[in-house]
Amino acid sequence: MLRGADERMRIPIRLSVNGQNVETLIEPRELLLDFLRDRLGLLGAKRSCDMQVCGTCTVLVGGVPVSACCTLAYEARDQEITTVEGLGGDGKLHALQRAFVAHAAVQCGFCTPGMLLSIVALLEQNPHPDREELRRYLSGNLCRCTGYWNILEAVEAAMRESEAEAG
Amino acid sequence: MTEQTVGVGANATRVDAEEKVNGKARFAGDLVLPGMLHGKVLRSPLPHARITRIDTAQAQALTGVVAVLTGQDIQDLSSPRYGHAIKDRPIVAVDVVRFAGEPVAAVAAVDGATADEALGLIEVEYSDLPLVDTLDKALADGAPRLHEVESLQLGLFHGLGGFQPYDNICYYHKIRQADDGLEPAFERAAIVVQGEYTFPAVYQYAMETHTVIAAWEGKSLNVWASCQHPYLVRAELADLFDLRPSQVRVIVPYLGGGFGSKSYTKMEPITAALARKAGRPVRIANRVDESMVTTRRHNMKCRMRTGATAEGRLVAREVMFWLDTGAYADNGPRVVATAADAAPGPYRWEHVWVDGWGVYTNRPPAGSYRAFGAAHLQWIGESQVDEVARRAGLDRLVIREQNLLRPGEQVRPGGKPLDADLVSDVRKLAAALDWGSPKPPGVGRGVSVGLLAAGAHPVSSAVVRLEADGTAALLVSSTEMGQGVRTVLSQLVSQEIALPIDRIRVPGGDTWMTPYDRSTGASRSTTIAGMAAHRAALDVRDQLLHMAGQVWNVSPNHLSLRAAAVWKGEEFLPYPELFKRYFGLAGGEIVGTGRVQPELGEGSYAAGPYFWEVCLGGAEVEVDADTGRVHVRRLVSVADVGQAVNPRLIEAQEMGATLQGLGNALFEEMIFSDGQLLNGTLLDYHIPTTEDMPDAFDSVLAENEDGPGPYGLKGVGEGALAAVPAAIANALADLGIHLTEMPFTPERVWRAMQRDPMNAIPLTPDRRHHKRMNQHGREY
Amino acid sequence: MLREFQIHQPDTVEAASTLLAEYGLEAAPYAGGTELLLIMKEGLVQYRHLVDLKTIPGLNDLGLEGEALVIGPLATHRQLERSTLLRQHLPVLAELEAGIANARVRAAGTLGGNLCFAEPHSDPATFLMAWGASLVLGSAAGRRELPVEDFFLDVLQTAREPEEILTAVRLPLRPTTVRCSYQRFRLHERPTATVAAVLELQDGVIASARLALGGVSPVPRRASEAEAVLRDQPLDEEVFAAAAAEAGRAADPVSDIYGSAEYKRHLVAVLTRRALEAAVDHPAGEIV
Repeated sequence: MLRGADERMRIPIRLSVNGQNVETLIEPRELLLDFLRDRLGLLGAKRSCDMQVCGTCTVLVGGVPVSACCTLAYEARDQEITTVEGLGGDGKLHALQRAFVAHAAVQCGFCTPGMLLSIVALLEQNPHPDREELRRYLSGNLCRCTGYWNILEAVEAAMRESEAEAG
Repeated sequence: MTEQTVGVGANATRVDAEEKVNGKARFAGDLVLPGMLHGKVLRSPLPHARITRIDTAQAQALTGVVAVLTGQDIQDLSSPRYGHAIKDRPIVAVDVVRFAGEPVAAVAAVDGATADEALGLIEVEYSDLPLVDTLDKALADGAPRLHEVESLQLGLFHGLGGFQPYDNICYYHKIRQADDGLEPAFERAAIVVQGEYTFPAVYQYAMETHTVIAAWEGKSLNVWASCQHPYLVRAELADLFDLRPSQVRVIVPYLGGGFGSKSYTKMEPITAALARKAGRPVRIANRVDESMVTTRRHNMKCRMRTGATAEGRLVAREVMFWLDTGAYADNGPRVVATAADAAPGPYRWEHVWVDGWGVYTNRPPAGSYRAFGAAHLQWIGESQVDEVARRAGLDRLVIREQNLLRPGEQVRPGGKPLDADLVSDVRKLAAALDWGSPKPPGVGRGVSVGLLAAGAHPVSSAVVRLEADGTAALLVSSTEMGQGVRTVLSQLVSQEIALPIDRIRVPGGDTWMTPYDRSTGASRSTTIAGMAAHRAALDVRDQLLHMAGQVWNVSPNHLSLRAAAVWKGEEFLPYPELFKRYFGLAGGEIVGTGRVQPELGEGSYAAGPYFWEVCLGGAEVEVDADTGRVHVRRLVSVADVGQAVNPRLIEAQEMGATLQGLGNALFEEMIFSDGQLLNGTLLDYHIPTTEDMPDAFDSVLAENEDGPGPYGLKGVGEGALAAVPAAIANALADLGIHLTEMPFTPERVWRAMQRDPMNAIPLTPDRRHHKRMNQHGREY
Repeated sequence: MLREFQIHQPDTVEAASTLLAEYGLEAAPYAGGTELLLIMKEGLVQYRHLVDLKTIPGLNDLGLEGEALVIGPLATHRQLERSTLLRQHLPVLAELEAGIANARVRAAGTLGGNLCFAEPHSDPATFLMAWGASLVLGSAAGRRELPVEDFFLDVLQTAREPEEILTAVRLPLRPTTVRCSYQRFRLHERPTATVAAVLELQDGVIASARLALGGVSPVPRRASEAEAVLRDQPLDEEVFAAAAAEAGRAADPVSDIYGSAEYKRHLVAVLTRRALEAAVDHPAGEIV
């Protein structure tokens, strides 16, 4: 059944964002990126290429990285969403965030939230990627400032730190 | 008192790192004003056409649309064209569109989707005008002219003399040195290398696209912009809208990258005009494909000839180059001048002839990109020097050591002499590359050295406010776009007032609060804004010593600053304590100011540059003979910085510039056809990824304290973008693969491997433009 | 920007098909949306009804059915790159899946969506054609199966009727004497050229060869001329070179921003030779 342009069909959804429950109505066409930024004020995820190439809009849905710019908010229903604001806790930085700071892996910062979340997702699945695997995986996240070296160093340092803690 | 002061030379942690990793850092696209509307731009699909009809009635009638802007809405402005070098750019097209992508209208609506829908309801009719989309077409006799150049005014910041555009030439620049001996010198020369070269347009791709919010408050205009030069933007906006500069406020949050793509004025005028019509704040955020037709690097054709003795002594260089500046000049004239400066390279010549032209075409406007000018010419000149070496039987480092200028020697007539020890830098490069070591089979090695005129116009101010709680604010209008300027300038201040940098805050540029700085670019901030900050810190230091001297009743000469306190022998007063004693309450403030300006009446392009940035790099490559794909084993960049304030941040800049250089050299290229950009998205324009990294990268620092900044420092961050592609070109030539067209895509390399090496095209002395110059009786 | 639409949530293939038939041109099947949402955002197409196939249970399973490995159309690339079953039976396909686009596209994008969108530079299509896979299309009226060769008609055009959805990708299990390889050349986000080779060997001789070329024509195509060169020939450098040259000749690419026609033909020849050489070392049925 067709609706007029001023009657907007809304879908109720429930989801969890950074551990907090959210219940609201969304339009089917609403993109997850705009939902997080404009509706929830979580501005860490950015818009750049708008076509899933650059990775600045990466958020985790059930721990899996997605391009929020090309994902409907509808797909987040009943899911756990993690944004960069949800890394770390109790006012402390996540080990990976600390490593980025310590290893000068941040310059303009625009790619950083997406980069962090992508790496967090990888390390959940594969705690010990070697450099080749890391490079291959991160080839889906662009950075125009750093040349990537310090990002790789930061990840490896964070991996070493968590191994040391575990061991 | 146990905190360490972090001063010059320390690898201080970036002061903005934490908010960038926790998602709190704010960029222009994150800001919201009450009542703010979303703006979208309708862009011309045609590269050259007359607008015969434009009907916005349906768009205006759409629910949620507040305003639609067209050329009609700017007719009340006394000077509705802008352009810091040449005022050739209308805020929005009025009667003619000159490039595919030129704004024709803009809509402000309650949300982006409505604005987008409204764009589709604007009716525009065009009638084609003759297409002048290439350099050849624009330069041809009788070519249709893009602009009525006689009616164009020079912009507020042209800075390169009174050149008046003609035909499709927006700027012409020349360098001459003993040029009457040029032809005889080439005739005598035992070795002559010549060629024609093509250099592509590339897209800077700062990951944050151009984003501007404009809000009018009565007759005052407030702008939050992703811009590198807030004061220059302020001046241009004031000029456009018939305001005093102080009636315009430009606020700059963090930039998600700049690289020159956000230098000077870009999307600010149209956003301000739309906000003016809407009567409410408006934000316009470009998509990537829109930013790609907002600015790009100049593509270029170049002819070069190098003459040398049989022993490899360089004698004569002749260069002609044409830069495609697109439909509007933007920074074209400055790029031409800087390219001319880079054309001879850092060598001793007997005769030099350089001609450079900036040419209008029906393509999107070209502007600044990191290392412009040097990136354009260095790879060409350096490939010819390598060829001279091969023919003279000389090692390619030896020929450079023999011909490189020494400190104090003239680089170009009238300009600043060389202020760097290039020979020593080259030796450092050689060591990092292990130059003399045997190369594995199939591996090519190359080096390149060049100079980039840096600093722009050296005017900058800074204020340091030291407060009663022992914290300080450093007010500068340098833009933080990732290079780390807030951190580095904090270090310079901390060095002088013995305050840890985590007690120094550096807010973003805001022309109401932060004092004048000409611009952030041309590698000038650490040197020039840094000098201003350094002087402001010294001013605070003097005041602290003076105050403590009064409190203790001793001469300030007996006192020193250390660990956030003033010391007299073993006695010390932490700053808050000093303030209480001096001011008589837990309050008061010390304000220090610092300023940099050129010698009276100086600062001109001709007498400059402020310093020569060194562009020095090396490369080792292998080629897949089947596909022509180049594999980069190693890249080296030498940063000649005088004094490193934060070595790790310098290295980080070098890494980024190096990978951009690799991308430019091997695959980045904007492909135009009939004025249309064919690869205007990231699906079709490849940005370097982790898989494009070289196997190894070394950053080498040279610190000879020979720069004009505090402690002998000088700027860095662009050189690699000129040196790396040049080094890669020379490494390929080392394998017998000679390319005269960049990027060195797999297909071009493969084709070069199919044909004979270095089939040079004879230079035909095309002096048409010189004759025309003489006819007009203008000498430049 | 996206215009307004409704999302429908069918729970069977038949229900989805009925919706697609009802709304005709105003409806599109919606799975991962990695291509669909992109063209909708760019305003190239407008659909007022998206039929979410993900609400139909069972469409993302992988399993063995008799002599075939059957992959559900909604299996994501991420699922396929991690599937133990796929790695056991067809590691080359699992590796191919792992190399598609980037991790985010792989997380949402589905094999079925990729095939039905029919982007000429699609990776899986080339391999499935060389393998001899078949696709099952379903609607309210029933099911039909067709070989991959018959599925791709033109750029972004397939044999799928508007009311049909892809319900299965069937890969016949092949004997252990079968060797295969997938090669691609990639400079941009999408590969310039892809070649897949599937060889059946008997006593050191090529009993049969299937070669597919992708990215260099509107649809992936079999290089039958090159296959003929290989048939009944020994595993030999010269044989491979001859077949590669033939594949290059047979490819009929156009010059575009990915490269000139001449260079693409050359790439096809290079990738064909490499695919043949690599196939020899890649038993189809062993974990690599």
